[in-house]
Amino acid sequence: MIDWYDWSGGREAMLRFGPATGPVVLVALPLFEEANRTRTFAAALMRLLAGRGIASALPDLPGTGESLTQIEETTLSEMRAAMGAAVDHLGARRVHACGIRSGALLDPHAFVRARWHFSPVEGEVLMTELLRIAQAGKSSPASDDAPMLVGGNLLTAAMVAELKAATTDADPGPLRIVRLDSDPRPADRKVPGVPLWRRAEPGHDPALAALLADDIAAWVRACEG
Amino acid sequence: MALQREGFAEVEKAVRGVLRDVLGLSEARVAAFDESTPLFGALPELDSLAVAGVLTELEDRLAILIEDDEVDGDMLESFGALTRFAADKALR
Repeated sequence: MIDWYDWSGGREAMLRFGPATGPVVLVALPLFEEANRTRTFAAALMRLLAGRGIASALPDLPGTGESLTQIEETTLSEMRAAMGAAVDHLGARRVHACGIRSGALLDPHAFVRARWHFSPVEGEVLMTELLRIAQAGKSSPASDDAPMLVGGNLLTAAMVAELKAATTDADPGPLRIVRLDSDPRPADRKVPGVPLWRRAEPGHDPALAALLADDIAAWVRACEG
Repeated sequence: MALQREGFAEVEKAVRGVLRDVLGLSEARVAAFDESTPLFGALPELDSLAVAGVLTELEDRLAILIEDDEVDGDMLESFGALTRFAADKALR
């Protein structure tokens, strides 16, 4: 169902699946272009969670989805504030954050029961990737402190500065990290699958979605004790 | 020497996997890639945006860093050239 939540800058839509009671998994898609490449996968994951008796929510953040705010009008702190408002809307004690890729940068400032990250990426690494994409279509090199056009998203200097400094492990509290087995970085669990966020054409990996739904469901139940 | 050859096979496997996963190529198609298989300009899937994805994913999987001034047509010319470039970085 479509729900709504209010933050200081307006009202945003929030896609919800699963039961009306119990814990809620609050999903944060990756920022920018990777969001388009993982939305189908995330929605499938949420339906699978519902099938396992666990509710989930996927909010539009300022500058994303149906939001009336343009991406160049917003900042990472505002997106984080909106995430906090979404947590309040759902009831803080029920919420388990689920950050996919750079979506993991959005939850540290939201008060949640626990966090689960899939292939999280730090802000500095993200900026390196964005600069490379911005430069791919240009002859002159992009500067990392000026407004940047990346795949149709205009990032202001303020957004760029915030992204560069953003980290996924700012807060204490229960955190589980899952990565693909092709990724050498440390994780609590490695799983087989393809990095859908790298694909130019949106793809899907049903086996990976099922595996991750099981992992999230077990993690949420363990945290709820 | 034997050790390095072993490492080279690992890198080649990683390059194959990256091209398969990032460009959405079939397992059979990448399995048929050899030293001389042309890449940039020959694979329609490998446009300049996809190159960015391939390089970043190679960095992730091989824990290497690729500088922008190292990226040119030569390293992307063939499967062999890309694998040698990645191996020079990863097996240093």
